[in-house]
Amino acid sequence: MKSRWCRVVGIVALMCALVAPAATAQRVKIVLSNWHLVEPHWEKSIKEAVAEFMVRYPNIEVVLDYVSYAEKETKYMTAIEAGVGPDVMHLGPAEISFGLFATRGYFRDLTPFIQAEAAGFLDAWYPGVVDALSHEGKVYGLGNNYQAMVLMWNKRLFAEAGLDPERPPQTWEELLDYAKKLTRDRDGDGRIDTWGLGMVGRVDPGFQLRFTPILFGFGATYLSADYRCAAINTAAAKEAVKFFVDLFVTHGVVPPGVTDMTPGKVREQFAAEKIAMKITSAWGPPIVKSIRPDVDWDNIIGIAPVPVKAGTNPEIRTTAFLSYYAMNRNTKNPKESWELLKFLTSKEAQEKWFRDARVLSARRDVSQQYQLILDDPYAKVIGAELSRAAMVPMIPEWPQIIEAINVAVQKGLLGQPVDPAWRDAYLQINDILAGRRRAGERCPAY
Amino acid sequence: MNAVPLTKSKGRGCLGRRGSPPSSLHRRHTRQGLAFILPCFVLLGLVLGFPMVVAFVNSFTPLWSRGLSGFTIDYYRRLLQDPIFLNSLVRTVYFVGATVALHLVLGLGMALVLNSAIRARRLFRIVALLPWTVPDVVAGLVWGWMYDPLSGILNDALLRLGVIASPIEWLATPSLVMPSVILADVWRGYPFVMLVLLAGLQAIPKEEYEAAKVDGANAFQEFFHVTLPHLGRMIAIATILDVIWQARRFGLIWVMTEGGPARSTEILSVLAYRQYFKFFNFEYASAMAVVLALILVVVGLPYVRAVARRA
Repeated sequence: MKSRWCRVVGIVALMCALVAPAATAQRVKIVLSNWHLVEPHWEKSIKEAVAEFMVRYPNIEVVLDYVSYAEKETKYMTAIEAGVGPDVMHLGPAEISFGLFATRGYFRDLTPFIQAEAAGFLDAWYPGVVDALSHEGKVYGLGNNYQAMVLMWNKRLFAEAGLDPERPPQTWEELLDYAKKLTRDRDGDGRIDTWGLGMVGRVDPGFQLRFTPILFGFGATYLSADYRCAAINTAAAKEAVKFFVDLFVTHGVVPPGVTDMTPGKVREQFAAEKIAMKITSAWGPPIVKSIRPDVDWDNIIGIAPVPVKAGTNPEIRTTAFLSYYAMNRNTKNPKESWELLKFLTSKEAQEKWFRDARVLSARRDVSQQYQLILDDPYAKVIGAELSRAAMVPMIPEWPQIIEAINVAVQKGLLGQPVDPAWRDAYLQINDILAGRRRAGERCPAY
Repeated sequence: MNAVPLTKSKGRGCLGRRGSPPSSLHRRHTRQGLAFILPCFVLLGLVLGFPMVVAFVNSFTPLWSRGLSGFTIDYYRRLLQDPIFLNSLVRTVYFVGATVALHLVLGLGMALVLNSAIRARRLFRIVALLPWTVPDVVAGLVWGWMYDPLSGILNDALLRLGVIASPIEWLATPSLVMPSVILADVWRGYPFVMLVLLAGLQAIPKEEYEAAKVDGANAFQEFFHVTLPHLGRMIAIATILDVIWQARRFGLIWVMTEGGPARSTEILSVLAYRQYFKFFNFEYASAMAVVLALILVVVGLPYVRAVARRA
């Protein structure tokens, strides 16, 4: 009897030993790189989602790769050029990386995978997002976070300054008026310690997201429709940049050190109640709450559409932050990577991102239909503003173009005359775009 | 068996006596020596040599996309006409000149103090060395916080002392930003020079100072007639090495200002990094790096010659 049991156990053990390596060998390992992983609430959320994915796809093992937000493009570019890199990458803002990566062939074309899915697979996404993530008729990315830039204000500071805490400014002129009232000495030591508006002035991807709503809100744009010439020589563009610079230089409603201000520093100023208003998006309130968790921010923070120029009602008045998932051209496991990419941008995952991190989705069936979003006081404003938001051009020259704009604005903020600096930027952008023009084709004079 | 006549070749490399042919034993030793250092050469060749060659070739042709057939000097021509590059070059000279000069002055001063018979000299030597142990990026972050116009310790102290009436925008005023960055770098970088000069000071024979004293020399005369002449070589070496390192300084500036505002602190290393890693202009950035490397080679030649001569 005993020997029979021993034989059975032995046979089972042998079978396990034979089967187990085979099962392990079939398991494919893919690397997911995501800058969100360095944020604790995101890390938890992504790990949960990835664990769920691995349950559904037991043959795929996902390895997480932590990367910093600021240096992710550098890291991916270096790795991809070297023939390696993560299988699936999360990139954003899209305008900084998409044009460069797509034209250099760093992404794997997703079109064949999409064609193999059910018809209308991409219909779930905003059409603008699909366009933005396409290059020469091929789709290279699936939209993930997509959220309009909006105005965030501090109701407590509004009330202290004698303003209606429930009524944010509707026009830029009104914003200036509010900001003047909000710029004051609160502790009575004779020095101003609270300012009306926080601005990002450093050369930083965050600058574009905060400056563009003002440019668009004045009815201006950066480039001509065919991307062959700069379009910042219009009266509207000149008026917009002058308004932006004057907020600091002439009216003093922005704290000192603006040319050194990054989005992170401005958030800290908002959390310290040194500024009463700032341009932000869905990530703004949660981060402010995390900086000062002791404050009842739910009753202090207000979110509203960015103002427009008085007497106008522009169709486009803000811009949007778009992040996306893309597949590395070097991946050795494209099928498995596609499954992961599809899972991370699925309706179910996108709803989870909102529940865990309050970010809106590039999917219409989430941002326009998910009840939690529709009921959220901040998200519903940000989601509604997407219809009045436009992306900046997704061209490879964009990082250079926005740097030229950023430097010109900095010169103005440093007290130099704005117009010559703006003119220099116009000429510089036209130089950058020279390769797009036909021989002999010239851009309009400034 | 172990009595290898190494002393025969003293000062004459593997040749042994001048003019006499090397013995087979010497040749074997030379081969063994070369074999031992070969892995280092290979490693250095891969880590340093390969990127240098790639950058050099890349600056003449988009190597990866077009291969060697696309040879062009356009990127260098463009550099000569690019005001951003030329201004950056001038800024680099200013930054390197100022930091190296201040490293020397402060390093020499500290070395003299730490070489004198002060109390707790060892402790002070360790404390003085500490800034050198701080990584570039960390130093940049710390100084960036100190310079913050609203919450920085510097403005806070000056305001409390009544020296200033309103916060100074250290990193957002064109006339102040470069001196502010230079100050941060001087704090971080002077210990290297101090260390080199301290070693030099300790090697000066005491008898010379005693002789100077017998001759009635005062402290200044001792310094100019005994100390400085002895330190000359060390100062030259420290200066050359410091110039090379300062010209490549990147982390501290990137963290503190990213070259701003309005390019006020955009030295060549920052500009090349931006062109390469932010704009993906690989060829143009490579040309910038080659120009910087050539300048540094010219600066570094005296040091290399001195080392070679000594060897």
